[in-house]
This record gives sequence, structure tokens and C-alpha cells, in this order.
Amino acid sequence: MAEHMDTRLVKLARKGNQGAFAELVELYKDKIFHLAYRMLSNRHEAEDIVQEAFLRVYKNWDRYDENQKFSTWIYRIATNLCIDRLRKRKPTYSLDAELNDQDGTDGYTLVPGDERTPETAYLLSETQTTIHQAIDGLPAKYKSVMVLRYLQELSLQEIADILKMPVTTVKTRVHRGREFLRKRLEHKLF
Amino acid sequence: MDCKQAASLMHEYLDHDLPEDQALGLKSHLDICEACRMKLKELEQTDMLLFAAVKSSIPSAPDDVLERIMSKLPKQRKQQAWLRWVRRHPALTAAAMFLLVMIFSSLSLWQADDQLIVKGADLDQVRIEGHTVIVPEGTAIAGDLTIENGNTEVYGEVKGNLTVIDGSLYQASTAKIAGDAKTIDQALDWIWYRITNTFSEVAYR
Ligand SMILES: [Zn+2]
Repeated sequence: MAEHMDTRLVKLARKGNQGAFAELVELYKDKIFHLAYRMLSNRHEAEDIVQEAFLRVYKNWDRYDENQKFSTWIYRIATNLCIDRLRKRKPTYSLDAELNDQDGTDGYTLVPGDERTPETAYLLSETQTTIHQAIDGLPAKYKSVMVLRYLQELSLQEIADILKMPVTTVKTRVHRGREFLRKRLEHKLF
Repeated sequence: MDCKQAASLMHEYLDHDLPEDQALGLKSHLDICEACRMKLKELEQTDMLLFAAVKSSIPSAPDDVLERIMSKLPKQRKQQAWLRWVRRHPALTAAAMFLLVMIFSSLSLWQADDQLIVKGADLDQVRIEGHTVIVPEGTAIAGDLTIENGNTEVYGEVKGNLTVIDGSLYQASTAKIAGDAKTIDQALDWIWYRITNTFSEVAYR
């Protein structure tokens, strides 16, 4: 259903229909923002990525392959933009961002109606922080796979399509990433 | 099955990619290996926590993201807006294009030549002297006569319409013009002449 909608909007947007393009932005802006935020741990950079990704879509319609899902294409553009940014960062930048960019990463979110005690909530919050930090510390190639898998809940095949790599490579990275996270959490949780 | 193989199968299991026969193999290893049972439990929890934690504490995209993106789009050329209008109004466009093409071709014709042109069905009796076309006294021209870029002097008879474009018309007292006698010496008149002429021609075909 969603794909069907995408296909129609993409067809119109490619012909220069700005209304259809705006619909696509509405549909994907949050997904791309979340992806970029988890990749870069920085709100302002994530905003830049959202803008840049959609402008690239707009300018590169002629390179879009209609046999491919639109989501695959925009995720690829956004992921590549994030990976580029990560590579350009100075080695200490990641730590700086973590210390200075506190908005959104502090505190915890409770699901409405959740009846956890403050202690378990605190533990959960601490676990979240551990996971966020662990992911933040991952090399870009692992980070992108983990974010696409756990944030966007994409299938391994879809991730392989987005990153243009064999599905076995994606698998290996998910396995290693999962193992890495398990070890980080080992002493805190289990 | 050793613990290393079991670990690999555990990940396949978490990916929902473990075939049944291998799942049975993993299960029989887990039955005898407590360390691997623990490990699978931890991996499962890690997996669940990852799904939850990765999505938590993410700020929302700013509200004005859409506006900002739309305002940064490269401006579409005016021609494209025009083309969209054309696509939406094919019939009107065809009519407008017809007129436009005619006006432009007429204008270019009007500007292009100052050569004398005489058109008619019965030109044998017409006398041409330099830039002057003469219908001599006592002659009768059958049908229409059109003269462009020249002066016209009529002493005889024209049985159809007489049209003089960009030139003067002199009718002697002996002149007899059965149809309309018209002088056209402005671009606009010329265009209208061409248009009405074309339309009637089209209508008669
Ligand atoms: Zn074992």
C-alpha cells in the first residue's frame, strides 16, 4: 500500500509536480531525520542531512531507477551523506558531540501507561545510554547497518540493496554488531 | 556441534533465517551446553533492547523542515510552467499555436521581401512597368487580383476583388471593380488579411 503510494507520488514528482514532491518529503522526513540523528548523534547535522538528501533526490530524478523502491534510494542517499560526514570528522569529534549535544539524548522516554518503577526506568535509561554510546562508537560501516536494521527495521535484503553490498556482508556486520553490544551490556544487565 | 558453530546459528536464528534442520541441531547443543543457553538469552535480550533503545530519545525533525526544503528547490523555469499549461489545455493551445505560427510567418513575410508580387487568375492582360501594375483601359481581368509591393493603376475592369498590399491604388474614372477594392499597407492589416484569407481558403478546401 505504502509502496503503491510512493510509486504514484514518485511518478508525479519526477515530472516536476512540486505538490507530489512535498508529499514525499512529508512521508520520509522523520525517517531520514531519525536515521541521520542516530548515525551522527547531532541534531543540527541531522537536519542538514534531511535537507541535503531531499535536494539530491530533486536534482537527480534522472538517476532514479524505477524498478527500485523509492525508500531504498532515499535511504541510500541519506546513509551515504552520513557516512561522508562521519569520515570527515576529526577523531575526537564524536566525543565532543556526545558531551555538547545533550538535547534529546539525556533522560528516558516512558511509554504511556507504562508502570515501571523509577528504578527500572533508570536502569532502562542507563541501558539506552549505553546502547546509544556503543552505536555511536561503532565504525561507520557497522553503524549504518545497525541503524538501518534496528531503527528502520529493514530486512537484511533491503539493507543490502541500500548499501549495494551482498546480503552475506550485511549479515556478518549485524552479527558482529549484535555481539559487540552484548558484550557492552554484559556487566550491566545480565 | 561446537560452541562457535552454535553462536553463528544463534545469530541466524535472531535474523529469522535459521532453517528447521539447523534449528534442531542448535537445540540439541543448547540442551547440553549451559554457556550457550546463557549466551542465546543475552543475545535475544540485546536484540530486543537494541530495537527499543535505538528508537528512544530521538528528537523529532523540526516542523519547518518541509518549508525549508521546498524553498531551496531550484526555481523551475517559466517555460516549464507554460508547458504545463499547454499540456492541460491541448485544444486551446492548438488554436493559439495556429494563430501564433501564422502571425509570425506573416510578419516575416511582410518584413522579408519588397519584391513586386502579382497574383491573379488572369494576368495576361495586366501590364507591368517597373513597380507599377496597370490594368489598361478596355481590358477585363477575370477573377481576383492581388498586388504586393507595387503601385496599381486601374483603367479597365476587374471582375473579382482587387487587393493592394504595401502600395498605392489609383482608380481611373474608367475603372470598374466588381468585387472589393482594398489597400493594405500595415503589418496588422496584412496579418488580418492573411488570417481571413487562410481561413476562407481552409473553409473552401
Ligand atoms: Zn556451547
